[in-house]
Amino acid sequence: MRLYWELARYGFRRTAIYRSAALSGAITNTFFGFLRAYTFIALFQTRGEVGGYVLADALAFTFITQGMAALIALWAWWPIAETVQTGQVASDLSRPYDYQFAWLAQDYGRALFQLVARSVPPFVVGMIAFGITVPTDPLIWLAIIPSIVLAVAVSFGWRFILNLTTFWWIDQRGIANTSMLVATLFSGFLVPLAMWPDGVREVVYALPFASMVAIPIDVFLGKLQGVDLVAALALQAFWAVVLLALGRLVLSAALHKLVVQGG
Amino acid sequence: MSLRDWRPRGPYPPAPSPVRGGGGDGWPAPLPRALGRGVPGRVLPDFTLYAALVRAQVSAQLQYRGSFVVQAVGQFLATFVDFITLVFLFQRFPSIAGWTLGEVAFLYGLGGLAFGISDLLCGGFDGLSKMIRLGTFDRVLTRPVGTFAQVLAGDVQIRRLGRIVQGMVTLGLAVSWVEVAWTAPKVAVLVSAVVAGVVIFTAIWVIGAAITFWTVETSEVTNVFTYGGEALVSYPMPIYAEGLRRFFTFVVPLVFVSYLPALYILEKADPLGLPPVLQLCSPIVAVVFLLVARFCWALGVRHYQGTGS
Amino acid sequence: MIESTDLRKSFRVHKRESDGPLRFIRRQAVDVEAVAGVSFTVGAGEMIGYVGPNGAGKSTTIKMLTGILQPSGGRVRVAGLDPARQRLEVAKRIGVVFGQRSQLWWDLPLQDSFELLRHIYRVPAEAYRQRLAYLIELLELGSFLETPVRQLSLGQRMRGDLTASLLHAPPVLFLDEPSIGLDVVAKARIRELLARINRDQGVTILLTTHDMADIERLCSRMLIIDHGRVIYDGGLETIREQYGDERTVVVDLAEEAPPLDVPHATVTRTDGPRQWLRFRRTETTAAEVISSVAATARLRDLTIEEPAIEDIVRGIYERGDRRVASGGRNN
Repeated sequence: MRLYWELARYGFRRTAIYRSAALSGAITNTFFGFLRAYTFIALFQTRGEVGGYVLADALAFTFITQGMAALIALWAWWPIAETVQTGQVASDLSRPYDYQFAWLAQDYGRALFQLVARSVPPFVVGMIAFGITVPTDPLIWLAIIPSIVLAVAVSFGWRFILNLTTFWWIDQRGIANTSMLVATLFSGFLVPLAMWPDGVREVVYALPFASMVAIPIDVFLGKLQGVDLVAALALQAFWAVVLLALGRLVLSAALHKLVVQGG
Repeated sequence: MSLRDWRPRGPYPPAPSPVRGGGGDGWPAPLPRALGRGVPGRVLPDFTLYAALVRAQVSAQLQYRGSFVVQAVGQFLATFVDFITLVFLFQRFPSIAGWTLGEVAFLYGLGGLAFGISDLLCGGFDGLSKMIRLGTFDRVLTRPVGTFAQVLAGDVQIRRLGRIVQGMVTLGLAVSWVEVAWTAPKVAVLVSAVVAGVVIFTAIWVIGAAITFWTVETSEVTNVFTYGGEALVSYPMPIYAEGLRRFFTFVVPLVFVSYLPALYILEKADPLGLPPVLQLCSPIVAVVFLLVARFCWALGVRHYQGTGS
Repeated sequence: MIESTDLRKSFRVHKRESDGPLRFIRRQAVDVEAVAGVSFTVGAGEMIGYVGPNGAGKSTTIKMLTGILQPSGGRVRVAGLDPARQRLEVAKRIGVVFGQRSQLWWDLPLQDSFELLRHIYRVPAEAYRQRLAYLIELLELGSFLETPVRQLSLGQRMRGDLTASLLHAPPVLFLDEPSIGLDVVAKARIRELLARINRDQGVTILLTTHDMADIERLCSRMLIIDHGRVIYDGGLETIREQYGDERTVVVDLAEEAPPLDVPHATVTRTDGPRQWLRFRRTETTAAEVISSVAATARLRDLTIEEPAIEDIVRGIYERGDRRVASGGRNN
């Protein structure tokens, strides 16, 4: 257990050295937050409420999603694929600890850094510039922590599988692009799922991507209460387990291929 | 021909005298001083050279045809997804600041197309930071071609066609959704707006790169103005706060990329009260802005030559 | 062809205060003079070597001569033109080869790089064809003209780079460490080409290198730069007579012994059972020294060291004179 804690710290430090990248990323995120905020302000002048979201919700949504992009690593996370390409994966796999959980631990370290460096600043700016507020309901604060923890796990499970596809297709750029599109769109990152057309929304909600972004946001905004809240967290947990388990299957298939073909 | 029976074909040809006054051997006559320090002597760009450099890169990239297609398609889809979100939003909201879906799509397509083309052309400026760090910019200075032209031709990525195609598609959709009373002037304005947009975005890339001469590391701030700029021009200007509007009218003239030309073509009233003649001024503004960018570039090169890497 | 008068270049370096709370705020600006008054003249058709220890200012000088850097002071002319103010014109008349950085396009076949350079330098088609054929023959490029540059060996790439720098028939050629990392055969080829074009075509060549053998084989004259100043400008014979002739035999004896007395050799250093014996090639040979040693003590192992440029330079300083008065030009 201590080992995984150390791995998490390692993941944190490894991401933390890119301080200037974090700063610039935060600046870009904040700028985009502003742009989207203005868009919503103008849109909500035609209608007061959509799908349970009022303007205040939409504004909060904007800055939170901008902050979450790095946290959930929706885009461009390929360190595992790189170890496959460099061959380092062989030595990683021979380590005496669980390969998947080791990477998961590191990912939590990374996520913690991103939470502090990339998620908080845009939100603070949003508070100052647009008056968004933090929730006052203690239940929300209680629920948001497991929700984020699970969201990272779901996202990791997805990214883990994607990275492992390098074993079969060396050049993973095609997969990279498509997966980013899919994840970005269906996670409710661009448009809150609440605003999606009826019928489509329910289906998309059930996909794992919603568990990465849409659910934590809805928890934070207080849109999920009581039974719904529990069900949402349960859905996140479900996907976390399923994707991690699927990841282990893919991993053993990859290992099999490695052994048979000598990588 | 083996070396044994090789004989030089007569004397080594004399150096071509590219300018008057230079003989074959001996010292060329001293030339009149070039215009100023650090300002490239060439005024008209050398298109054949640019074409040759671009052709070489394109053919090298086309060797990986499969990869190119995948990436271009991926880029198309990525930018298209952005457009889809726009459509989604307009399922719920009827309009934004008085602009309907078709009209916003027009802004979006115009901006996206202009940005896409500039993105295709200006990859070299993005790579300037690497050139400075690795020392390859020195080589640029030893060649008898202006530094600007060399860097401009330095990195053309054809996979960025994906974004360009998406811009064209969106623009096409927009035009079909909106009733436009097309006239010859309007078509001219549309075409000139695209060209002006390309020039304005290019100037932003250039200024961003020029800053790299001082900072060496790429400034993410450039991305704010390029990618952020594209996002900005995809929506009508009135929705933004006044400070932002003024900045992007008078400092970085993005308002001339899509909003003003759209006002003219779509015949919309402008709540901001800008003089209507400005709607036709995109090309002029673009040229002026590019000159500013070129000046920044020249300053940057001069700084590099003063302090080294 | 190349004129440098009191050439200077200073760089402003920011140093942080080494400790204290002001460490992050206050930065001292220190002016480092990389080139401190370098003056020399190279006539048309000369081939000279430009040597000095690392950090002596060689690269900085070359950069000022080729238009990459602007001097802080002094005056420089290449082919009668000022590289800083007339960059484009000077660029047409010079060829530059950087040993560490290729100017060829990485992903393209070698042939294509030459084509692109033909466009860049606006070389007329017929002249280009003739020149390229000449260089291909001389450097034996024929077998790998179609190969992408990234697949070439270092020696092949260097030959390609040399060709690339000569396509526009520049009257002046600058080479910065061209033979670094090359094997003996490749070095020989490069030397042959340089000698040929200097002799047959009268190309003026300024060669920077750490390899004394390059200088010996090719150059009639050498400039030594150290700490930003030219400390020697003259013929090779003088240098050879005075300093380049020395070699050192490093002997490992079976046990520690007092400094050996060997005819024509002096012990410059001892370290336990190991002794450094310096001798001149003109006075004795390594074989004689070794057999003298073996006759007087039990010899376990030995190596022979050639004088490095650093040693020669140091030697010049040790001898006290900064300019050797006899033999060759000086400033």
